[in-house]
Amino acid sequence: MAHFNYDPAVIGRVFEDTEPVVVETQQIRDYCAALGEDDPIYTDQEAARLGPFDTLTAPPSYVLILRTGKDFLGHIPRLANNMMDAGRDLDLLEPVRAGDRLRLVSQIKEIYEKTGRSGPMAFVIVRSTVLNQNQQVVAHIDHHFIQRNR
Amino acid sequence: MSRFDQIEVGEALGPLAVHISRDRSRRYALMAGMDHPRFTDDAGARREGLPGMIVPGNMSAGLLSKLVTDWARAGEGRLTRIGVTYRAPVLPDRTVTLHGFVTQTDSLQRTAELDLWLENEEGERLVIGTATVRFS
Repeated sequence: MAHFNYDPAVIGRVFEDTEPVVVETQQIRDYCAALGEDDPIYTDQEAARLGPFDTLTAPPSYVLILRTGKDFLGHIPRLANNMMDAGRDLDLLEPVRAGDRLRLVSQIKEIYEKTGRSGPMAFVIVRSTVLNQNQQVVAHIDHHFIQRNR
Repeated sequence: MSRFDQIEVGEALGPLAVHISRDRSRRYALMAGMDHPRFTDDAGARREGLPGMIVPGNMSAGLLSKLVTDWARAGEGRLTRIGVTYRAPVLPDRTVTLHGFVTQTDSLQRTAELDLWLENEEGERLVIGTATVRFS
């Protein structure tokens, strides 16, 4: 029995396509410093040149800090009164290079429900696809949200 | 013999102990544009019903990703997929330990599958995950 109601037409509908943002070398350095990433391949041009991409790239997890649109959360269907951020799945297809111009295209990927010990829960998966200036897919970021009534 | 051919199922990544200070956690949150009270100050976090400020989930994901890339890079492997589940809040000013091990290898694809987790000093697994590394 379905415990949560939503309009199935929301699945797959793109709700945001953000303005491209340039990935500055300094931002990559700031990200590494904040995370505690000390591999010089991400911060040192010479080390990067000897690496697999021949140029400065960001750590793979950098895509996690790309800004979604201002109303990202507002586009997530509300099926219950409590919503938790439950995790991320990243498919990493192309490196993020310094100087890239990246944008995010986001859509509701999937909604399903499960009943746990605390009762029914709705799982909403939102996919943000990261595209670079060459229209290559850099990554898919699947945001997992769990909703339940409390 | 290439690095990939030497990998054995069960091989460990880490464990790597990381102290996440309050300042470091806040710095990450501000850098990542996550300037919500829950990630930046205790009083604001308590108003949201949390015990105090918490470490952004993305930071935990980033630390687990680093555990994998440090392991992979030494053998010229590339992280192609990582998934993490936030099971319980990670609190700052504590030491967490990052763990991982190889669960499977695929010699045709030249990939290794990994299980990952971040645990607190009590041994509770606060963040769990899986990843795929592809070797050249």
